[in-house]
Amino acid sequence: MRTSLMASLLLGCSLFAVDYSSMIESPDASKIIQKDLLGPAKASTMPTDCISTDPKAIARGAFIFHNLNGETKDTPPEGLSKTNSDGSEKQFGNCIACHNIEGAKGAGNIGPDLHAYKKNFIDSGARNDQFVYQKIADARIDNPNTHMTINLTTGLFNQREICDIASYIVSPK
Amino acid sequence: MKSILKITLGVALFASLSYSSEQFAMSDADRAMYADLLDANPADMMVQDGKELLSKYGGGDAGLAKFLHVSEEKLPAFIAGFPRYLPDFKKVVGLGQVMQALMVTNGNKAFALKDPKMFNMVAYTKSLANDEKINIDVNANQQMKDAYALGEKTFNTQRGGRGLSCLSCHSADVIGSVLRTQPLPDLGVNNSGGTWPAYRMTKSSLSTMQHRFQGCMNNALQAVIPLGSAEMVGLEVYVTNKAKGKAIAIPGLKR
Ligand code: HEC
Ligand code: HEC
Repeated sequence: MRTSLMASLLLGCSLFAVDYSSMIESPDASKIIQKDLLGPAKASTMPTDCISTDPKAIARGAFIFHNLNGETKDTPPEGLSKTNSDGSEKQFGNCIACHNIEGAKGAGNIGPDLHAYKKNFIDSGARNDQFVYQKIADARIDNPNTHMTINLTTGLFNQREICDIASYIVSPK
Repeated sequence: MKSILKITLGVALFASLSYSSEQFAMSDADRAMYADLLDANPADMMVQDGKELLSKYGGGDAGLAKFLHVSEEKLPAFIAGFPRYLPDFKKVVGLGQVMQALMVTNGNKAFALKDPKMFNMVAYTKSLANDEKINIDVNANQQMKDAYALGEKTFNTQRGGRGLSCLSCHSADVIGSVLRTQPLPDLGVNNSGGTWPAYRMTKSSLSTMQHRFQGCMNNALQAVIPLGSAEMVGLEVYVTNKAKGKAIAIPGLKR
């Protein structure tokens, strides 16, 4: 008796209670986020031939530093393309969004000013090439709460590209 | 109201002028346009369109009030508490989702959440709460607590091609710094919760807060998550709560 009363009550409820959830868009985003997550902080040692004085390497590093992506009007230097191998638009560093440096246009100030980096930071002994490499590759090793972009762990750039950028930063300007 | 807005803007513009001019993307022409638009926000027309759409597809203000089980008199204060948990939906929802169910129960096909007509309707509906104070209650029930927690988690999650989170650019210690000519806004002090939907000058269109989130995700190379997802609604809860107690002023006007 009791159960049948319950059952009919429940039935009554489900017949009359409204449920709008099926009428609205409420897509699942958790899988998109899961696939997009940043991996754990990764320490890496720069390759032996990393820092280069080759003007072409430095030019590539400068280009990556100063540009956002393949939509730029500027022509990339030799060895760098505006598109990836699959034809998609290449993303560059957009480092000047946060850092001022020689020749920067519209630089931001979220990160430290990198003017005269060689003189002020390297020659002074405050920093070395490996520090710069690691900072660009994965800044969390030195500063777990960094606001800086992560560039090697995310796969945005490969080792050689990080080396080109580092070569540009530590080059005399 | 408008004059207060003008004064605040004046102060903000003056402050930004004190930086070297080439630091800022907003040219003098932009500034002049901004001042003009303040007197006649182009989105006023879009809000008006939203009013017509609501009356055509959802029975107008009265139809909406009935649908939400509140009196027309209490409707503004109720809207000032969105996103909220609504038992009829069995989840925390934003105004766009309310519009969708309202349209369907009125025998219409719902606009997609990303439809500009939907943006207009949401803008009109939220404008009903103009001058009301944001009264979102993130502790109202377990569902709101969960939505807030999911929003906070989503805000703090580092992801995408550059490993950034929303917090990377919107945490207290970087607010006011400049990201490529744009000062990083304080989402609470700036009253983001009370000023979206807003007209975006640089896009010449009306945009909702969730759509604005998608813009930041895109810029930061994060995978863009869909409007109306629990994470998006959670983000809206989390960001809106930062401006709790501030007055709603729709449509907002943004760069
Ligand atoms: C979203 C902001 C942001 C972007 C974009 C960014 N950085 Fe940084 N960067 C920072 C912040 C903040 C710091 C200081 C905190 C830290 O060291 O983690 C920093 C620190 C650095 C340092 C260390 C300076 C020193 O000696 O202490 C280097 C080198 C650097 N960034 C290079 C780059 C390069 C190269 C890029 C682009 C590939 C880049 N940054 C992009 C925010 C940013
Ligand atoms: C790389 C930096 C960066 C990241 C990451 C970022 N934002 Fe933003 N955000 C900005 C800047 C800069 C502005 C102001 C842009 C402008 O004025 O046009 C902004 C504006 C906003 C606004 C509008 C503020 C207002 O009311 O005027 C909201 C809301 C917002 N962001 C939310 C988010 C959320 C949510 C995320 C994460 C999904 C996020 N942001 C990630 C840089 C960022």
